[in-house]
Amino acid sequence: MKEVLKVEGLSAGYGPLRVLHDLDLVIHPGERIGIVGLNGHGKTTLFYAIAGLTGWQRGSILLNGQQIGRSRSQGAGRYTHKIVRQGLAIMPQGDEIFNGLTVEEHLDSGAFTPEAWRTRKERKERVLNLFDPLRKLMKTPVGRLSGGERRMVSIGRGLMTDAKLYLSDEPSLGLAPKIGLAVMDALLAIDLKDSAMFIAEQNVALLEGRVDRIIGMHAGKLKGEASSGVQLGSGG
Amino acid sequence: MDITFVLTNAIIVACIYGLIAIAVSITWSSLGLINLAYGFIFSFAGYGAWMMAEYVTENPALVAATGIAVGALGGVIVCLTVFIPLHDKPNFTTRGMIATLAISLIGSQAFLMYFGPRPKALPEIFGFWKVDFLGITLTSDKIGIVVCSIAMLAVVVFWMRGSRRGLEIRAMMMNPHAAAIVGIGIRSTGVYVMAMTGAMAGLAAILLSQTYYISPFSGLTPLIKGVSIALCGGLGSVQGAVIAAILLGLVEALTNQFLGGQYVLMTQFLVIIMVLIVRPRGISGLLDKAREQ
Amino acid sequence: MSDANRKDYVWHNPLAVWGTATGNEKADSIEVPDPRDVWDENRAFKVPTYKVGRLKHYIIWPTHGDRLWNRMRWWPTRRNLLHIKGQYNRKTLAAEKKIIDRRPIYWALCLLIIALGPLFFPADMMNTLMTAGAIFGVFAAINVCWTLIIGTASIFSLATYAVVGTAGFISSWVSIKYGIPWYFLPFIGSGVGLIFGAAIAIPALRLDGFYYALLTLGLNELCRVFFTTSNEFGSASGGLYGASTFVNDTWEPITQSMVTYYSSFALLIGALFLFRLIHGKRLGRILRMAPEKREAFAAACGVDYKRARITIFVVTSIALGFIGGFYSAQYRGIAFSIFGFDTVLLGLAMLAIGGIGKAEGAILGTLVVVFLDKVLLELGPIRHFMIGALMLGVVLFLNNGYFGIKQQFNAWRDKKRGEWRSSRSEKGGEALPEEATEIEDKDDLYFRRFDKLQRDYLKGLVTPQIIEEHRKQPLGQHSEALERVLLYFRRAKMEDKYALHRAGAQGPYKIIAFSGVRGVSPRLVDDREYATLDEGYHGVFMRRVHDLMET
Repeated sequence: MKEVLKVEGLSAGYGPLRVLHDLDLVIHPGERIGIVGLNGHGKTTLFYAIAGLTGWQRGSILLNGQQIGRSRSQGAGRYTHKIVRQGLAIMPQGDEIFNGLTVEEHLDSGAFTPEAWRTRKERKERVLNLFDPLRKLMKTPVGRLSGGERRMVSIGRGLMTDAKLYLSDEPSLGLAPKIGLAVMDALLAIDLKDSAMFIAEQNVALLEGRVDRIIGMHAGKLKGEASSGVQLGSGG
Repeated sequence: MDITFVLTNAIIVACIYGLIAIAVSITWSSLGLINLAYGFIFSFAGYGAWMMAEYVTENPALVAATGIAVGALGGVIVCLTVFIPLHDKPNFTTRGMIATLAISLIGSQAFLMYFGPRPKALPEIFGFWKVDFLGITLTSDKIGIVVCSIAMLAVVVFWMRGSRRGLEIRAMMMNPHAAAIVGIGIRSTGVYVMAMTGAMAGLAAILLSQTYYISPFSGLTPLIKGVSIALCGGLGSVQGAVIAAILLGLVEALTNQFLGGQYVLMTQFLVIIMVLIVRPRGISGLLDKAREQ
Repeated sequence: MSDANRKDYVWHNPLAVWGTATGNEKADSIEVPDPRDVWDENRAFKVPTYKVGRLKHYIIWPTHGDRLWNRMRWWPTRRNLLHIKGQYNRKTLAAEKKIIDRRPIYWALCLLIIALGPLFFPADMMNTLMTAGAIFGVFAAINVCWTLIIGTASIFSLATYAVVGTAGFISSWVSIKYGIPWYFLPFIGSGVGLIFGAAIAIPALRLDGFYYALLTLGLNELCRVFFTTSNEFGSASGGLYGASTFVNDTWEPITQSMVTYYSSFALLIGALFLFRLIHGKRLGRILRMAPEKREAFAAACGVDYKRARITIFVVTSIALGFIGGFYSAQYRGIAFSIFGFDTVLLGLAMLAIGGIGKAEGAILGTLVVVFLDKVLLELGPIRHFMIGALMLGVVLFLNNGYFGIKQQFNAWRDKKRGEWRSSRSEKGGEALPEEATEIEDKDDLYFRRFDKLQRDYLKGLVTPQIIEEHRKQPLGQHSEALERVLLYFRRAKMEDKYALHRAGAQGPYKIIAFSGVRGVSPRLVDDREYATLDEGYHGVFMRRVHDLMET
């Protein structure tokens, strides 16, 4: 089976600052992968590089067999929407929500493919089954929600389409430990089928034993089973 | 002249200029672009409709549809020449405004060179008929203007509320960065927004040319009025623009009635300045969380 | 170290001939590559490198050291004419000087060219050029003032021409009605400017930039409609004419145009002085501390930026009123076209082409636009088309007009350079730059680096041959490859250093590891037992090899 994500020799940075140093990474279908590392070592930059949001990048990124890496800097975010449409769901750090939209509209906005838009009712229902607290907040503007609810909205928005790769950046950041755990539980309970999930986290304890492999990130380089050739179990 | 006449005039003026005001408002809040090229789009749509009437058919519906389509085309032209190259550059707001002004300068000169300075008249779209409604005589064009502009506005509002594109536009108004993350392309959305607002300006051109003529510089007054209404209502707010349009239409009608035509702009600006001094972001600029910068 | 570089050979113990050798007599081994190769390979850049730094193209003038201290000064201040730096040539030690800021020279040259311009105008175009020159002077003066408002005070006002026009109309009207002589008109205009400026400054206090821009655009239209429709200001003749003037009808036409030209030029000089006084002095510096979007910070530092902005706005409005009065005194009146939307557009084109916020930008832009508009008259309506296209092009491609090109190019070049340099840097890995700054002992960093290179080198030497060689004879003389590996192992730190523990009187042996801390006993590494000492040595060796290959 084809890899969901295959990164080769990826370097990326912002202007004169180089954050990622020649990374190689392979993600197989059905895998859940955790990436851990301290602040400022490049976890978010790796996600941004996959989404085409860094200042410049170099190297090859194959998402589902299609090249999405770029060697020229053409302005951060210029092609992000196209990459997203090729099957990437981003649940960004700090949520990046639309303050004025209601929870329902917010979930709708995640369903950007025509097919997802047509079946958005069922999809919303699926997200609500995962995040039950949102059910009675459907008509509330997102700006009024609490941090945990916002996180749920932000993750739920990412789940509205059938992405090949889900990128979740620090899903427990800034949340109370219990809520963080609940969010993580929900994230790990998602049925991946043949897509894959990539979770960045600082708290290793939240991921330990619950993901297929954990990759360390240090000083812009990956440590551990980054390019593991063997395909592990089909998610758990 | 009685109060009903004043009111109907106020509503008609509000309808036409309100369309442009809402166009200005939506463009600003979703794209961050102060589009002062609506004068150009206005004349562009007018000339398009005129050419349709002159060379192809005088069928009112077709002429109006041409006007709207050409207006949308004008909007797309402005989007392609201004928004897409500039939107990620420094000083985008200032440069975007100057660029739209440059387009209106170029456009009006081009019209002057091509069509000449003589004004052109469009055929009557709504025919000649009258209706007595609760003792008020309403002529066909008045009813037509009101119905058309309200219909257009309803379509736009419904589209913005209900459709996926509308949702995308509203999402982009709130947070352009997050919009990219959920797969909303800023450029393509920009084209949709400008086509839609251009169509609104095109309709306004068709409606206004029932009373006035089309000339190279005829877009200026509607632009100024539209911008003033948008300002007064608060940039970025459709409800605010509607309220402001009615308010300023009323002021115009009342001034015409009691002071005389040449004072219209003066009273209107006094009202706008007073509103803005009390609420610097317009009537409802504070109500909703539109883009603030 | 790739396998291709390895060359197998049979090693003969050089001590064997004397019969004193311990160890193998001969063994299969590999050729040892030069250790410097790893070092060179790691230190080399695999990409082309370029020289860094930048050349400053200063003209160096010779000087006598003494002359530096006798500079010319602007009377009566102590300011120098030019910002000159004295220095000694590094090679020859000759005294020399360089001009740090050459802009005053350029200004003087350009103004001199404008002043002497009429001498060089071709005779057949004299009239056109003189008229255009006079208009250029007036408009350049207006635009310099406008630059003060938009650039220095960051108030995006589009009502500049409305102020000028209102002042011009009212002073003309006063002059016609009450027979006021021309030398009062600029001052009447100033008064009108003060009132008008103060009135439109009130909304500027409350409104944000672009709300204000749109509002002033409307005000401009309001003025146009008011003046064209009112009876007093003569709606029929396209303007209000008949004011008192300093240009005497009885003079020769050429004298008249000379007077007009030079009076406009004097007006421009005055506007430039105003710009210098406001932009270069206290008010301008205050506002440079409070750029857009950082006003709150400036306010926290004690900068009353609102007051400064309004002061500049009102002072500039007075100046604009003065220009309006001057205009009507020079041209006997003023036309309605001053309020036209096209005038605002052309004015904005002038500012945009040169670059908003700079006096030289305003003047260059005015020169370009006036040349297109007033000199190339025979082109017809395409002139405005060209101005519009020029304006659009400048706005689309340049961040801040012509005079911003240098800065924009430098910024672009720096960005690209930074990207290129960082994207081709091949280093990193042992220690993060930010980690390195935290480590007190820099020797440690160098040691880590060296250690990594050494490990990389030694990994290439570990082959089945040398393992077999060691297995056969752990002690004694070995081939060079094995010897190098063993030397590295022997140098290991006490912490986690392996040792053999004899479990019984004659064996077996177990591998232990030292704690590295005095008083803490060694720990048992694993339960494996080795029957003889040599097997034990080899077990330790294998463990070390394993550790080396893991890192």
